[in-house]
Amino acid sequence: MTSVLTRMVAKLLLLPTLVAAVAILVKGYTQPGDGFSAGIVAGLGVVLQYLAFGREEAEKLPVVRSAGVIAFAGLLISLFVMLAPLFLGDPILTHYPPPEAEVLIFGTLEILTAVLFDVGVFLLVFGFSVGTVGIISRSIAVEEEYAADAIEPDSEPGTEARS
Amino acid sequence: MSAPAALLAGALRPRYAAPVGAAFAALAVLATVRGWSAGGGTVDVPWAPTYDLRFTVELDGLAVLYALLATGIGCAVLVYSSHYLPLHLEHEGRPESEGTSFYFFILLFMGSMVGLAMAQDLILLFVFWDLTAIASYYLIGFDRHEEDSRASALMALLVTGITAVFLLIGALMLYAAHGTFSIPELTRLTEPGPLLAVAGGLIAVAGLAKSAQVPFHFWLPRAMAAPTPVSAYLHSAAMVAAGVLLIGRVYPLIQKSDLLLDALLVVGLASMAVGGVLALTRDVLKQLLAYSTVSQYGYVVFMYGLGGKYGAAGAAFYVIAHALSKSALFLTAGAVTEATGEDRLSRLGGMRKPLPMLALASGLAAAGLAALPLTIGFFKDELFFGAALERGPVFSALTVLGAALTFAYIWRFWSGIFLGAPRDGACGVPVALVAPVVALGALVLVGGVFVGPFAELAVAAGTVSYDAPAVVEPAYHLDARPENLMALAAYALGVLIVVSRPVWSGAAMGVSRLGEVAGPERLYDLTVRGLNRFSDFVHRAEVRDLRSRVAAILLPAGILVGVGFLVTPTEGAYRVGEVRAQDAPLILALLSVAVASLTTTITRRHVTLALVLSSAGFVLALVYAFFGAPDVALVAVLVETILTLVFVATLKLVPRKVLHRQAGLPTERPRRKVFFSVIAGAFAFAVVWGTLSQPAAERSVADEHLRLTPEAHAKDAVTAILADFRGLDTLGEISVVALVLLAVATLLNAGRLR
Repeated sequence: MTSVLTRMVAKLLLLPTLVAAVAILVKGYTQPGDGFSAGIVAGLGVVLQYLAFGREEAEKLPVVRSAGVIAFAGLLISLFVMLAPLFLGDPILTHYPPPEAEVLIFGTLEILTAVLFDVGVFLLVFGFSVGTVGIISRSIAVEEEYAADAIEPDSEPGTEARS
Repeated sequence: MSAPAALLAGALRPRYAAPVGAAFAALAVLATVRGWSAGGGTVDVPWAPTYDLRFTVELDGLAVLYALLATGIGCAVLVYSSHYLPLHLEHEGRPESEGTSFYFFILLFMGSMVGLAMAQDLILLFVFWDLTAIASYYLIGFDRHEEDSRASALMALLVTGITAVFLLIGALMLYAAHGTFSIPELTRLTEPGPLLAVAGGLIAVAGLAKSAQVPFHFWLPRAMAAPTPVSAYLHSAAMVAAGVLLIGRVYPLIQKSDLLLDALLVVGLASMAVGGVLALTRDVLKQLLAYSTVSQYGYVVFMYGLGGKYGAAGAAFYVIAHALSKSALFLTAGAVTEATGEDRLSRLGGMRKPLPMLALASGLAAAGLAALPLTIGFFKDELFFGAALERGPVFSALTVLGAALTFAYIWRFWSGIFLGAPRDGACGVPVALVAPVVALGALVLVGGVFVGPFAELAVAAGTVSYDAPAVVEPAYHLDARPENLMALAAYALGVLIVVSRPVWSGAAMGVSRLGEVAGPERLYDLTVRGLNRFSDFVHRAEVRDLRSRVAAILLPAGILVGVGFLVTPTEGAYRVGEVRAQDAPLILALLSVAVASLTTTITRRHVTLALVLSSAGFVLALVYAFFGAPDVALVAVLVETILTLVFVATLKLVPRKVLHRQAGLPTERPRRKVFFSVIAGAFAFAVVWGTLSQPAAERSVADEHLRLTPEAHAKDAVTAILADFRGLDTLGEISVVALVLLAVATLLNAGRLR
């Protein structure tokens, strides 16, 4: 079991991590960052929960339970953004609004189909990292059931997840 | 056309899948007919203009013919399978829900077949072509627990899939020469010559393999491992028809080359002969029908080879007549087997008593194939003879012989089932198994009396293939014209073949045995087995254990890079630039990377090793930040974090005692390892140094991207590249990520994502 401090920090960090991920995602067009990094950051936030609370607690999070759905929803969104222009008579992956047209700006957020595409990437990467970690940790748990003399491993630093 | 989409609705309830599918197939038939009566239509959308790829479909004569066949016969087959499939699954002891995938793939096949028929662009054609191949793989291998059916499905996929590459090569050759994939434009641009002969030949090979022509015929009889409705559909109206559809589609190109036409003649004749003779020797119902399909499509190819308007329109007509009759006969075979549990001619007989309707309907279909008057088949042979007469007496004689063979094996099929002494154990079959046969048989009869609409369809299709009006008027003539005389001669000869069976049966069996020993199927087996062995060898040499795997990557990479390095001129390379004071942090960072890397070679404890490695990675991320690449730095930090976690988590799995013991062991074969590492590392170092000394003068792509970034409403070039300029690449990459997730779930979690 991890220390109280680690657990508290992990608990406090989950929401900020997700917020940071979304920020990286939607600001991607004006500042460094894109769907991929955002997905990894969000994924790390969840991995931190695994490290701090163990598998059974982490699996109670709704995002963990629906990781597969999230991943494939992301893929579908990206595919949709790719294929939708075909029905409007443009080549695939045409983004709207077109160059030189006015962009709807919402606060500091620009509304573009390219951002939607990135949202798809984000969801996929996020779902992928959470899903993979979940599956691997479960298969480890199953193995440990077989090996009765499993040695309790020491806790590992989860602090890097903050970067 | 929207049939697969409709299926998804039906898929939710296995019980409803069949009716929904059949209803949509019927709708598609109506839509096709309506589209055709409205004068056809064209859809033309460029979907990747950068590569000149267009989504061009047109509902022309050829398209209507094959679309009607695919949807119409598909509809009959779906009705049939709605009763056949539950029985089949029950026999096999599988749950009823597994039938859904059957309907999905058969409708996918139907959809891609319609697309294939309408495609006017060679690349689009190729896409639909491969879609049919994939759907057929799952349909033929539907009984996936049986090894035989899996092997057959793989064979069909390999034979048609590998030859499909020829289609792609041919298309690319034509594109390289003429700058377009569009078939109508190519027809205008191409001229007879070696290029056209080679490209057209490659495309024709793909078509011939799909149509199961000699020497690719062996996959078809093997594919009979599929459930009967699949055989009826794929091997009469859809899959093999796709082959001649392709030939009919590119026929405007092929007919410019006499060499290709002659090749088609030879292949067609060989298929007629091989298929016909082997059909006479087979005992299993579906095998007999399979070989007869080989031979019948031989006729079609032969007619294309003969050329002329009779050839083009006649081939189209032949495809209609054959598809109607043959699918009825396949369904008959399935129904009879369902009723008696027997699938061999030698154990069947006398079925006309218990199944009178089936006997009558399939008798009509058989008569159609044997070209008796009052059936649509009569006209197919009339056109067949007409086409041959234009080319002289030798061809006429051959066609009569071919028609006689058909007569003989069809008689053998029908009489073997329905005539003779009745056997015990026959029970009735559900109406849904008989009704489609009756409908198809009735069509064969209707076509024999009112040939007008069918002929019109064939003429329209022939006109597309012939690239000029191909008007033929099949009709009954009660006089002694050559066609009629040839038909009579064929009947007489056919009866003679039937009667003289004891005389030739030994010889025919000999031919069949010879084919098994030295035929192309054996060649296929040897090739597949050889490739398997080679792959095993490579596998053993390369990836058996971690060490040789790493060596297998490092050593060839080092040698290749080294060879490239030795042949490149080195003038001006390997400059050492001046070191400025403001570079100090950068150098410090790089130095610490070097120190960390060196440390890895002497560290013995695993955890330390992992941490040192990741520290090198983090410092490298810092270097990126110095170079003003914050996006790359961000990703590098994140990836490094994940990697560290994976390393540590992996080490966590190994008991600590084992880790300790491992760390204390002496290194195995240290000299070999040092040798590999030095070779790979030294050459990589040399190349990087050389490259960095001479920054490439042209940076057009990067500049272009930077220039376009504001236009894409972006301020961050990297994101704009990922989401916009190279969006397709990104999409490919994330699809791989999704696949990896599925793979992990399959390997570790029995396919569940949760």
